[in-house]
Amino acid sequence: MPRFLTDFIQACMDGLLTGALYALIGMGLALIFGVMRIVNFAHGAFLMVGMYVSWVLFDKFQVNPYIGFLISGLFLFVFGYLVYRALIQPIRDRSDFMQILMTTGIALILVDSVQLKFGADYHQTIIDLTNRPPFSFGAFTLNRAALLSFVIAGVFIVGLQQFVVRSRTGQALRAIAQNREVAPLMGINVTMIQGFSFALGIAMAGLAGGLLLPALYLFPSVGEDYTLKAFVIVVLGGMGSIEGAAIGGLVLGMTESITSAYLGQQWALAVDFILFLLVLSLKPSGIFGRQRA
Amino acid sequence: MRTRLIAAILILFSAVCLVTPMASAQGTIKIGVITSLTGSQAAFGEAHKNGYAIAIDEINAKGGVLGKKVELDFYDDQSKPDQAVQGVSKLVDQDHVVMLLGAYSSENTKAIINPVSTHQIPLIIPTATADNVMDSKSPWVFRICAGANDYARATLEFLKHNGSPKTIAIVYEKTNFGQANMQAMKEQATAAGLQVVAVEEYEAKAPDYKAVLRRVKDKNPDVVYFGSYLLDATTLMRQSMEVDLNPKYYTSAGTGFAAAEFPTPKGAGRNAEFTFSVSQWLPDAPWPGSKEFDAEYFKRFNSHPQYHAMQAYQSLQTAAIAITNAKGTDAAKIRDALKNLNLKTSAFGPVKFDNGQNLHTVLITQVQGGKYHVVFPANLADVKPVIPAPRWADRK
Amino acid sequence: MTALRGWRIFALLGVTAVFACLPLFLPNDYVLQVFFRIVLFAALGLAWNLVGGYAGQLSLGHVAYFGVGAYGMAMLYAHHVPLWLSVLFSALIATGFAAIIGSIVFRLRGPYFTLSTIAFAEVLRLSVTNLPAAGGAIGLSTPALFPPGAFWKMFYLSAVALAFVSFLVNAWTSRSRFGYYLMAIREDEDTAAAVGIDTANYKLRALMASAFLTALGGGLYGSAFQFIVPDSVLSGEISVQIAIITMLGGAGTLLGPVVGAVLLLAASELFKNKFQESHLLTYGILIVIVVLVLPEGIVGGLKQLFQRKTKPPASVAPLAATPAQGGD
Repeated sequence: MPRFLTDFIQACMDGLLTGALYALIGMGLALIFGVMRIVNFAHGAFLMVGMYVSWVLFDKFQVNPYIGFLISGLFLFVFGYLVYRALIQPIRDRSDFMQILMTTGIALILVDSVQLKFGADYHQTIIDLTNRPPFSFGAFTLNRAALLSFVIAGVFIVGLQQFVVRSRTGQALRAIAQNREVAPLMGINVTMIQGFSFALGIAMAGLAGGLLLPALYLFPSVGEDYTLKAFVIVVLGGMGSIEGAAIGGLVLGMTESITSAYLGQQWALAVDFILFLLVLSLKPSGIFGRQRA
Repeated sequence: MRTRLIAAILILFSAVCLVTPMASAQGTIKIGVITSLTGSQAAFGEAHKNGYAIAIDEINAKGGVLGKKVELDFYDDQSKPDQAVQGVSKLVDQDHVVMLLGAYSSENTKAIINPVSTHQIPLIIPTATADNVMDSKSPWVFRICAGANDYARATLEFLKHNGSPKTIAIVYEKTNFGQANMQAMKEQATAAGLQVVAVEEYEAKAPDYKAVLRRVKDKNPDVVYFGSYLLDATTLMRQSMEVDLNPKYYTSAGTGFAAAEFPTPKGAGRNAEFTFSVSQWLPDAPWPGSKEFDAEYFKRFNSHPQYHAMQAYQSLQTAAIAITNAKGTDAAKIRDALKNLNLKTSAFGPVKFDNGQNLHTVLITQVQGGKYHVVFPANLADVKPVIPAPRWADRK
Repeated sequence: MTALRGWRIFALLGVTAVFACLPLFLPNDYVLQVFFRIVLFAALGLAWNLVGGYAGQLSLGHVAYFGVGAYGMAMLYAHHVPLWLSVLFSALIATGFAAIIGSIVFRLRGPYFTLSTIAFAEVLRLSVTNLPAAGGAIGLSTPALFPPGAFWKMFYLSAVALAFVSFLVNAWTSRSRFGYYLMAIREDEDTAAAVGIDTANYKLRALMASAFLTALGGGLYGSAFQFIVPDSVLSGEISVQIAIITMLGGAGTLLGPVVGAVLLLAASELFKNKFQESHLLTYGILIVIVVLVLPEGIVGGLKQLFQRKTKPPASVAPLAATPAQGGD
């Protein structure tokens, strides 16, 4: 195989591994923003909390992050539900900007509380798996930990998609998304379901946070970039589409990886945003989106 | 209605004015500290704070300075240069500190040089490595740490005496620190006759540097020089292994590559082996007080100090000595005391300022057997360097 | 200047005079710097108010214009453009920049608009960081607009002047046809378009005026602190801060941005000196409380309270409306 081709394929594969985690983050926001129409600027902050939960388990109780991430997810589900009931629900029907302000405030509080509790110090989570020689086949190599994260993320992506499409709760959720006035008449407890889906979206961020932990360093403002990235993913995939967000995540991961390989890694984030602006101005329904709801 | 509001605003204004001037405690000597307690560099601000805390306790336990207790007055610059500038004014104009220490980052330090000079107050810079902080040649500015040019010079000197390689690749983080080190190395390496075959920038927050490292690998350099912060070191070395990058020398501009955890299983572990780094200071550095500082730090904060903490510690110690030598708190006298200071030894090595720059010895260390060893300069070395670094395939 | 008749114009001049005389009573440069920041951000809030308040377009990317103002000034000056001209030119560049950005982002609505303003500002920040020509992450030294002697006094007075001009622009907007069109767009863009308002055009004009003022503020700020890096004058935090100041005080009101800047920045400085690291927490909590309790901002909230007691003159009504609630 010629060199340029192997390089390209390698970059794509690396991008897919990261992309699976992006997909998980994006699907969480797709539930909250795409389906529930809550503009959540605290998504990255919740992801950060997920990372800290998993890190504390690792640091204090030697729980492997590949188990700890489940607890992160559960913790954030409960936490997300409480935050929804206390702070989001009261402003549920207010303008987008009030939601943006509120979630920005929540993000600030989360980041600063974590900094006060754990300090601003950088932490890393080294497990045996991350430092092992990579899994290699032919001319290609893949990081084992990233590969494991990819597989786990895949399971949750498919699981969430099936849940939203098939379960009664998922159907109720989509019913509310389609018509919030009629849904209660169909016997749907709107408040409960909305709280539930907000919590579910946050839990996805928590799971992704746990899975990202071995690959990233941890510090209180680690989540900042992920808030914007999550919105980019949702827009790429087409508003309101859970499946679209999954694909959007993979696309974003590959875009970053290819940008790094050919343009330089420092441009990856800028290319994310340029892609976002292009999609918004040229094809606002998203690359794969159906008509916007 | 509107008049009432205007009245409210005026009341608020006067409230601000009333609250702000605060009387300073009598009988203490107040030293101002500007550092980043919040914001993106808060981790380092914390190291500063810890280092200062140990120093001040030691100083006051010995009876303070000139028979008075020393008091630290912190100003959080929120990791922003403009806030650091405001800090100078707050500490000097309002709190009337006798001298200043700080800031943390090169950006923030660069920003305060002008106001420090116009306020005519002595400043000791503990950690700013970018050399543009010393451009002003202000007589009020003293830097205790070595700069990026010293890093490059020491590394090149070491290489020249150890096999004189021909090609070098520079990989650096997109920060002031990274860019300053890249520029210093690029200029000096070219001048020293090394061919710079690759210059690669990366974004620290993104965890995947493999594309960058693959491009470096294509150029097959003898030396790789990393100008990177903190924990990137672990990821860079792991991914160097993954892409099978095999230069003869892995060298670096300190920070992550000189952090206590880096060679241990909590850091890069075995991947750290054979990497060279410049270092301003190590707990094992051959200077009296180094080990004691490390032990005290570990006792208080349950982790080993990075050299940033030591630099903060030594800045305050130096300030105390200068005030003692000046026999008073007059700014010009303290400045002259700093100018004439000649500390034969300290926990941070000898301290003597030449045009404001401390002639700090930069060490070159190599990780061998999971520990840092000094390999250069020869008179401070405790082991011989291992060159070339074994290929990844040959490492067990 | 229909908005400023009779006592109002005297009140405005009076307040401005009081502000302008403040340095005579301030104990030192530090307090002057704090006031400089407060007045400057009041000006920035007023500039933002044109877009975010009257037109109801919630930009979180205003730091782009601020940064262009600061960087443009430093870079033009480095290329031998006279100092004050470089301030003016960079503000004009920012205005042109706003025309380009606006023509793209104003096709979008709601959160998409907000997100794309952030994206533009971020692309700018990342580009400046990556391009050595703009100083990269190392930053640029900026020229001082005023001599050292009266340095902060002059900067403070310039900020007061900028705030005064911004206030006049706001006052004019609140009572002009232009302003009514903007408010119509805010209340219901489709209806506004249906009755023949060229919505894109008016939004763009508001943004360009806003960008011009914001860039002047950026130039002042960059020069006052003498050294700029992307993370200071292009940081997204500044966008958020400008918006929050205005929302806290009351978006779409004349006095809102001023009240917001005074409260938020004075509080932030006091908290910082008192609580060290924990001061950021107070900021987040303040935002949450405002959203929950005072969604119209302080001035908006007070106005509502006031209007409930006495019947307001009809012409004040549009001022009390906020983008949050639609018309009332």
